[in-house]
Amino acid sequence: MDLSVSLQGLFPFVLILLVSPFLVGLINKQKAILTGRIGAPVWQPYYDLARLSRKETIYATSASFISRIAPVISFSAILFTLLILPIGYVRPLFSFNGDIIVFAYLLGLARFFQILGAMDIGSSFEGMGAAREATFAVFAEPIFFFTLGSLAFISGHTSIYDIYHSIQLDEPSALVFIIVSSISGFILLVTECSRMPIDDPNTHLELTMIHEVMILDNSGIDLFLYQYGSYIKIMVYAVFEASFFNPFSMANEWLGFSVFIVVIFLLTTVIAWVETMIARFKMKSIPQYLLFATAIGILNLLIYTFVR
Amino acid sequence: MSFLSVQNHRPFHISDIPVISVSEFENSIRQSLQAGFRLISLFALNPEKSEKTVLAVLSNPLTSSISLTATQFSKDDHRFNSFAADFPQTNYFECELAEENLIIPNGHPWLRPVRKQSTVLGDQPYSLYQMEGEEVHEVAVGPIHAGVIEPGHFRFQCHGELVYHLEIVLGYQKRGIENLLLSANSRQQTILCESITGDTTIGHSMAHVLGIEALAHTNVSLKTQVLRSIAEELERVAMHLAGLGGIANDIGYAIGASSYGRLRTLVINGLALFCGSRFGKGFLVPGGLQFDPDEEAIEKLKSNLTTVLNDVSAINLVLFDSTSVLARLDHTGTVTREWASEIGMVGPAARASGIDLDTRSQFPYGAYRYFPIPLITLGTGDVFARTRIRALEIEDSIRFIFEQLDNLPAGSTQTKVNDLQPDSGVISVVEGWRGEIVHSLFTGSDGKLTRYKIKDPSFHNWYGLALALRNEAISDFPLCNKSFDLSYAGHDL
Repeated sequence: MDLSVSLQGLFPFVLILLVSPFLVGLINKQKAILTGRIGAPVWQPYYDLARLSRKETIYATSASFISRIAPVISFSAILFTLLILPIGYVRPLFSFNGDIIVFAYLLGLARFFQILGAMDIGSSFEGMGAAREATFAVFAEPIFFFTLGSLAFISGHTSIYDIYHSIQLDEPSALVFIIVSSISGFILLVTECSRMPIDDPNTHLELTMIHEVMILDNSGIDLFLYQYGSYIKIMVYAVFEASFFNPFSMANEWLGFSVFIVVIFLLTTVIAWVETMIARFKMKSIPQYLLFATAIGILNLLIYTFVR
Repeated sequence: MSFLSVQNHRPFHISDIPVISVSEFENSIRQSLQAGFRLISLFALNPEKSEKTVLAVLSNPLTSSISLTATQFSKDDHRFNSFAADFPQTNYFECELAEENLIIPNGHPWLRPVRKQSTVLGDQPYSLYQMEGEEVHEVAVGPIHAGVIEPGHFRFQCHGELVYHLEIVLGYQKRGIENLLLSANSRQQTILCESITGDTTIGHSMAHVLGIEALAHTNVSLKTQVLRSIAEELERVAMHLAGLGGIANDIGYAIGASSYGRLRTLVINGLALFCGSRFGKGFLVPGGLQFDPDEEAIEKLKSNLTTVLNDVSAINLVLFDSTSVLARLDHTGTVTREWASEIGMVGPAARASGIDLDTRSQFPYGAYRYFPIPLITLGTGDVFARTRIRALEIEDSIRFIFEQLDNLPAGSTQTKVNDLQPDSGVISVVEGWRGEIVHSLFTGSDGKLTRYKIKDPSFHNWYGLALALRNEAISDFPLCNKSFDLSYAGHDL
């Protein structure tokens, strides 16, 4: 692999690293506008990160070494996924057969260490949050595999880059794929990134939180890593979602790129709209919601198999 | 005669209260509770003496009568037979009596501290209920909370996400208001009553001024009465809007939370037009009102309320039409009618469980005697009912305010207050936005207040919250809590 290709592969990495806080700022701004407020500036997440990076890091007296390493491992695992994720025609730094599995479990690893970190302190709230996170992760994992995995199965490729570029828009079944995958992809995004209606990122109620309660005892640079990690995760899933529309770029690269930008922007609008207009689900009905996403993923696979 | 029957806000002579033997006292209270009376206060008239006289105040909402009966405990025998096992509504009153006066209810099923630790139980620290088992876990919340709210400790006995039992420990805000009131002058008393709980300023100061005026045989003008009721309804509208906003916020329904919050500001600004304080502080004083709102203020208030009425019906429509909202509210935190009446719940929470209980229509006072307000009840007793009833009451209250503002009587808003009658008492019951507020005032032979007993609606309803959480998901606790919207300070006094 020559140098220019490697440098190109770093493009998604750098882009997501820079842009992801802006995406969250954009969601919050639109949410503010929808509820009739002016809201914080779109750059607020950058300010927040800058503030957190300057703050002192405090550990609970009951914390073991797990609390110290968990944020770092969790953040690094999320960073690694950026090296596998393709954006449009740019080949990522690492692309190999089976990288779809690595992608899924890098995020799994990030979550695993976050859960460990939360349980390490011994606080009942954090333990409760960790239990919820672990439970819902079990339901979220099949969504990923039935969305992307079903296409991997059909296309015969097991690398995310190859999968995306094997979709042909001239087939009507591809359109079905795009629509259905977008729906389950959105549900996956909402679940993995702890947004409404699964989890409320703005709540201060320690008994109802999932993601926020797990990082209650983190401060300073650890909180910075968790927050930045969650921003990046939103961007990763947004790119993942927008990439379903990549087939447009088969005809025209610029068209493909514009569609990509528009889809990501639309996605922030949809997230903001959902967070404004829909109440959060009861905790016990969340598994049903997630199973619904899995079910339509399976449906997707069946349609693909029988339409052909 | 084992009872003295009195009217709301009507003074009586302390010597008219029948003092009967302890066993007669027990029997007559038992009989009247059986007959549908509610216990609304139970306290010692002379807490400083060693031979304590205990007064029970019972009310019957159906006949609009209040009955008083008293008994005297000898120096050595401070015991009586508890009613709590048969009538759970007396449970907390008995705990309070035991804590404050060391009068011990025999056979009380659950004697526990109300506001102070370890007075009832000697030097033994109180141990909360605890479940045992492999998979049972305990969650302790507070007294310091994640939000900027008052202190209170909640202990959940859970199995996974399911709550089996919730125990609420309060008392962190005890300021000893009842005793402070006795040593304060009349201006200070009004200010103290406004601060019993900051969100019911008008409600508590209303109960106070009506009590003082009754003891002083002072009649205030119709205009004063009407303006007081307008202020009371404004407070109700403002707090109900805040509550609806809080409920919307707790379920993550951002559009509802921001809309109700915006409208609440309009209403409390209306209260500020009257008296310069958005919470109505300093408006009500014994003998009338400190301020007489002019035409301009009234016109501004009307235009504010027109906006509120329009917007609130629009946002209510959105809120109660949203499937996702109803999915959260329906069948969550249910308190059945039986439970609610057994534990003596009051206010909108009781009305949401189908109990006909509203002081404004059952023990009318002030302007409500001439301009009645409808009593609304709902049947289901869940979070939905408690939310819906507040939305309905907002509309009724605004309608009431408009009617009164359009026909505001002329007259003065200040009357000279006479001296308090010696050796008298009065029971002042008022419907605050949270429910029934009871102030019991007694004077000594020099015409000074010798006993002041306060009962905030939160005193009953905290137990309702504990019951609402039975077999409910722990993640729904904040929502249930907000639907009751109780006061810590009002309970702790």
